[in-house]
Amino acid sequence: MSNIAGKAYAMNVVTPAKWYWVWVNKLFFWFVQLPGGAAYLKGLLTLSLIHYARWAIVSPKEFPHLDESQPKEKLKYSYMFFFSNFNGSWDQYVDSFHAAIPQGLDLFWFKNVKYPKSVPLQPFHAYITYNQIWTSHYYSAYPLATSNDIKSARHLTRELRAFSESSARADPLEFHEAYQRLLRDVQQDISIMERTPIVSLSAQAVEQRLDQADAERADQ
Amino acid sequence: MMDIIRVLVTGLLRRWYDNLRNLLTGTRPPAGAAGLTVLCPIINDSDGNQSHVMALRQHLQDLPLHENSPMAAVPNTYLCRFYILNDVFYQGAPAEEEHLKSKYLVYSTNFHGDLDSYLSGMWEHAQESIRQVWRHCVAFENVRTTADFVAYMKKCQVRNHLFFNGSTGDPLNRQLKSLYLKQEFSRFVYDHQNTPPEDLQRAFQAFIARTQPGNPDSPTWVAGADTESIKT
Repeated sequence: MSNIAGKAYAMNVVTPAKWYWVWVNKLFFWFVQLPGGAAYLKGLLTLSLIHYARWAIVSPKEFPHLDESQPKEKLKYSYMFFFSNFNGSWDQYVDSFHAAIPQGLDLFWFKNVKYPKSVPLQPFHAYITYNQIWTSHYYSAYPLATSNDIKSARHLTRELRAFSESSARADPLEFHEAYQRLLRDVQQDISIMERTPIVSLSAQAVEQRLDQADAERADQ
Repeated sequence: MMDIIRVLVTGLLRRWYDNLRNLLTGTRPPAGAAGLTVLCPIINDSDGNQSHVMALRQHLQDLPLHENSPMAAVPNTYLCRFYILNDVFYQGAPAEEEHLKSKYLVYSTNFHGDLDSYLSGMWEHAQESIRQVWRHCVAFENVRTTADFVAYMKKCQVRNHLFFNGSTGDPLNRQLKSLYLKQEFSRFVYDHQNTPPEDLQRAFQAFIARTQPGNPDSPTWVAGADTESIKT
């Protein structure tokens, strides 16, 4: 069990909300997806530590029912499922959002049952901790990379390809000048990606347990 | 308030215009990053000497990590996870206490492309691993073909009300190629500081020939690798 895959952390939070309030949540989620409404998500973009995040509101009737052998759910609340893939530790993530976009968080979890609001910090921490579910298996296609690495890699690749084409017939001095200009333009994209430092002892323990199991299998 | 009204009016007009234009020109908006959330009820019975839910949890926890994860074989998977929803949480008085009647396998994935292609690729590239996971779920015994699997997953799908993309929506092979180039070019820059122009140009031409920036599939990073594994 690990919430960590390389530099990404998987957060799962499930919280109840009364059916007549979830319409407000749904309306807000719909609103911010309109062209122009994305400005209200600016705080999320500015923090830039999220790969992808998602909110899904499931009413009692929407829990999948596949077979007569499966009893139908009889619930009074709707449930909001939150999934996030972010870089850094749990504390860094929760504290950043608490500090940077407290009003945004209060809109996302508007009127969820016993939601304490994002300020002050300790009750908010307690609410997320209480409602968080641990991940059983987490996979990232690029454990060495952060969300910022992916965005900067895209920019660097575009610039590099353009430079490669435009400098193909340059003489050495022209090439050198253009190369220096390229470096000036992509300096913020140049860095070596390494394995992440240990941010969780439990994640380290999981890797050690699986490595040990692999070694035992290899010995047999 | 005026800001909200402005966003509503311009947003709706823009959306209607885009839909109308797509309809008239027969074009589809480009596929980017998408999210899928599925809740699959777990069989409430025993599997040998333990319950299905326990067997499934153990199986998920023992899956190999990183490039050896079965999900590394599924095309265009950026990040995905499995967890087990045992029950919902009681929030304390005066909230009402209630419980789920089934436990659910929650599969959440962030991927590139359209859902049908993604699910078909999932079945075609990781069928055996998928069977080992989903065999613990209600009615999965009826899934035999790609079409069955796609239909099953859609039955278990719940709607995402907000999907936030903080990354890029590029296909995975392009993302991995860009990361490979970023890493290799960063090394090149460090290694060639103060190199004379003629040598620098020659070295750069060799770098481009080796790294092939225009080829998204080779050489590149291996999906899921937590060390610098390069696919040639």
